[in-house]
Amino acid sequence: MRVSRRRVLQSTGGGLAGILASGVAPYSFVRNIVQAAESDTIKVGILHSLSGTIAIIESSLHNAELLAIEEINAKGGVMGKKIQPVVEDPQSLVQVFAEKAKKLLLEDKVVAVLGCYTSASRQSVLPVFEENNGVLLYPTLYEAQECSKNCFYTGAVPNQQLDDFVPWIINTLGRKKFYLIGANYIYPKETNREVKALLQKHGGTTVAEEYSPLGSTEFSTNINKIASSGADIVFSDLVGDQIVAFYKQFKEFGITAKDIPICTPITTEQEIAAMGPENALGHYTSFNYFQSVDTPQNHSFVERYKAKYGKDAVTNAVMEAAYFQTYFLAQAIAKVKSTDADALIYEGLPGQEFLAPQGKVKIDEKNHHTWLWSRIGKANEQGQFDVVWKSEDWIRPQPWVPYLYPGKTCDFTDKRVLDRLKKPWSAEKNRSGTIDL
Amino acid sequence: MLQSIITQFLSGFSVVAILVIAALGLAIIFGVAGVINMAHGELIMVGAYTAAIVGKLGGNTFAAIPVAFVVVGLLGLVIERGIIRWIYDRPLETLLATWGVGIILQVLVKLIFGPELYYVGAPKILEGGFRVIGRLPFPWYRLFLIVTAILLLLLVFYVIFKSDFGLKVRAVRRNRAISGCLGIDTARVDMTIFAFGCGLAGIAGAVLAPIKSVSTTMGFPYAVDSYMVLVLGGVGSLWGVLAGGALIGESETILSFIFNNVIGRLLVFLFIVVIIRVVPRGIFGFYERR
Repeated sequence: MRVSRRRVLQSTGGGLAGILASGVAPYSFVRNIVQAAESDTIKVGILHSLSGTIAIIESSLHNAELLAIEEINAKGGVMGKKIQPVVEDPQSLVQVFAEKAKKLLLEDKVVAVLGCYTSASRQSVLPVFEENNGVLLYPTLYEAQECSKNCFYTGAVPNQQLDDFVPWIINTLGRKKFYLIGANYIYPKETNREVKALLQKHGGTTVAEEYSPLGSTEFSTNINKIASSGADIVFSDLVGDQIVAFYKQFKEFGITAKDIPICTPITTEQEIAAMGPENALGHYTSFNYFQSVDTPQNHSFVERYKAKYGKDAVTNAVMEAAYFQTYFLAQAIAKVKSTDADALIYEGLPGQEFLAPQGKVKIDEKNHHTWLWSRIGKANEQGQFDVVWKSEDWIRPQPWVPYLYPGKTCDFTDKRVLDRLKKPWSAEKNRSGTIDL
Repeated sequence: MLQSIITQFLSGFSVVAILVIAALGLAIIFGVAGVINMAHGELIMVGAYTAAIVGKLGGNTFAAIPVAFVVVGLLGLVIERGIIRWIYDRPLETLLATWGVGIILQVLVKLIFGPELYYVGAPKILEGGFRVIGRLPFPWYRLFLIVTAILLLLLVFYVIFKSDFGLKVRAVRRNRAISGCLGIDTARVDMTIFAFGCGLAGIAGAVLAPIKSVSTTMGFPYAVDSYMVLVLGGVGSLWGVLAGGALIGESETILSFIFNNVIGRLLVFLFIVVIIRVVPRGIFGFYERR
C-alpha cells in the first residue's frame, strides 16, 4: 500500500484533534469556570499524576482537591472571587513534575500549587518553588527531615504515626519482639530507623530487619524466616503491590493475626480491597484518618465524595489531607487579603486551623508541618478499620525527632533563619528552616 | 536451623513452579517461532485480569484456567495475524513490535479496569495447608502450583514430542525452508504455536493471581524472571526451562534465607552472568547445524 503525503496529513490531523478533544473533555467544567469568572478568579495549581504508575493514588488526591474547591466556590469563593483550578498532569514522571511546576508558577502565575505525592516528586519540584518563591502544599505522609520555606506539609511525619504506635504495640498488645520488613528504598529505611530508636526507648527488641527489592512479590522465604525467628509482631513498611502479595502469602502459610499481627503505617483501605478483607483481618494500621472515623465532618465528607465520584469510591488518609489543605489555602488567602507568596508564607498559612474529617487540624506556627490526630485501626471483615486507639489530643509535628536528631529543629520564626532567607536565592543558600539548637 | 532449611527447600519448589509456569509460554514462542515476545508479561497480566472477571462472575481458579487459556490464546492469535506474521524474519522489529503491543495492552487494561489493584481469591478447597516439618504448614495452594507446573510441562512435552503437530513444529524449528518444501504449512505452525504460547501465559496469570497482586503493571517482573530462566536454561529447550527455573528458584530462596532478599537476588544475577560466560547458550543450549 502506498501512503500519500495528503493521506498522512489527514489522518494525523484527525488523530491530533481527537487527542485534544479527549484531553480537554474531562476538564470542560474548568473551562466553564474560566468563562464565567474571567479575570475575577484566584488561580490555584493542581499537580497530581492522572496517568502513569502512581495515578492510582494521585488521581484520588486530585479528586479530593477539586471537591474542596467546588465547595469553597459554592459558598462564595474567597474575597468574593472564585478559585480557578489549573490542572496539570505530570504523568508519574519525576522530571515532568518540575517542568509542570515551572509552567504553573511562571506562565499561569498561580497563587499556590496543591500537589505531588512521592518524596521523589516533591524533591524535584522544591528547587523550582524556592527559586521562584512559589507556595506548595504537600499532602503525603513522608519521612520528614526536611523543611522548606516554600512548602507546607499537611501529611503525617513519622512522630505522628509511630511515637504512640510502637509503645502501644509493646504495652497494649504485649508484643516486644519486632520483625521489621520493608521495601528497599528511603522511606522504609528512615521509618525503621525511628522504629528501632523507639524500641530501644520502650524496651522492645528488633529480631531482624529486612528489605525486599521494589517489585518483588515473592515472600515465602521471609515468612519462613519470620516463623523461625521467634518474633511476635511484624512491622511492615512494604509498599504498593507488595502489600497485597505479602498479606495474602502470610495467611497462605497459615499465620493469623492472633499468632503474629502485622503492624504498619502504610496499608490503607484501598490495599485491603485489593487483597480481600479475609487476608487483612485483625492486622493493624496507624494513620491520622480512616474512612470509618466517627466524626460528623467525616460522615459528611465521605457522603459528598461518594456523591461526586460514585458510591464505590473509597476515601483514604492522604486524600483527606489533600482535601483540608485546600481549605487551609483558601482561609489563608482570606486572612491576609492578598495572593502575595510572602504574605501567605509568613502570615497566612502558619497557624491556620480547620475542622477536618479527622478532627481539628492546624499548621504549626513555626515549622510548616501540621498538627494531626493519631489513630490505630484494626482491619475488620468489611475491609474497613475499627479504630481501637485514638490520641487524646492532636500531635505536634516534629520534622526532626529529638531522639534521633537531638541537635536539630525547624523554626521559621527564628532570627537566624529569617536572616538566611533574606539573602537572594542560590542553589547553595537553600530555603530550609532547619537550625542547630 | 536444619528444619528451616528443609522448609525453605520445600517452599523453593513452589518458587520453581511459579518460574516454570511463567516462563513456559515464552520458551515455546521463542524456541519455535523465534520471536522475542516482549509482551509476555502483559499477556500474563491479561490472564490475571481474566481470572479476576471469572471470580466476579462466581467462578474460581479452576474455572479461570481454561477461560484464561482461551482468551489470551485468542488474543495471541490476533497479535500474530495482525502484526507478527508480517515481520517474522526481522527479529529486531518483532522485539519492538511486541514491546509496543505490551504497552498497548497495559494502557487498554487500565482504560477498561482503572488503575486500582484487583482482587482475586484462592479457591476455598485450596485454603490452609498440611504440616511437613518445622513450624509452618505447607500451603495447599503452593502444592497446587507445583502440580500445575508438572502438568503443564507434561502437556507441552506431549504436544511437542508425541503429537503429529509437534513433529511439524520440530521440523520447522530445525529447517524452515526444507519443511516448507515438504509440504508443511510453516505459517500455520508459527501461528498455532504463538497462540498456544500466549494461552500458556494466560494460564500463568490465572494461577498466580490468587497469591500475588493484580495490577496493570504486574507483568514486568514476571517477564524479567522468565527471560532469566530462558537465558540460563538454554533457549528452545524444555529441559532448559525446568533446569533454569530450578536453579534460579532454589538458589534464590536458599540464598535469601541465608543472607537477605536483596543480596539473594544479587548473587543469583551474578551466578547467571558467570554461567552465561562459561556456556553462552545456556545449560541445555541447542547447538544446531546451519
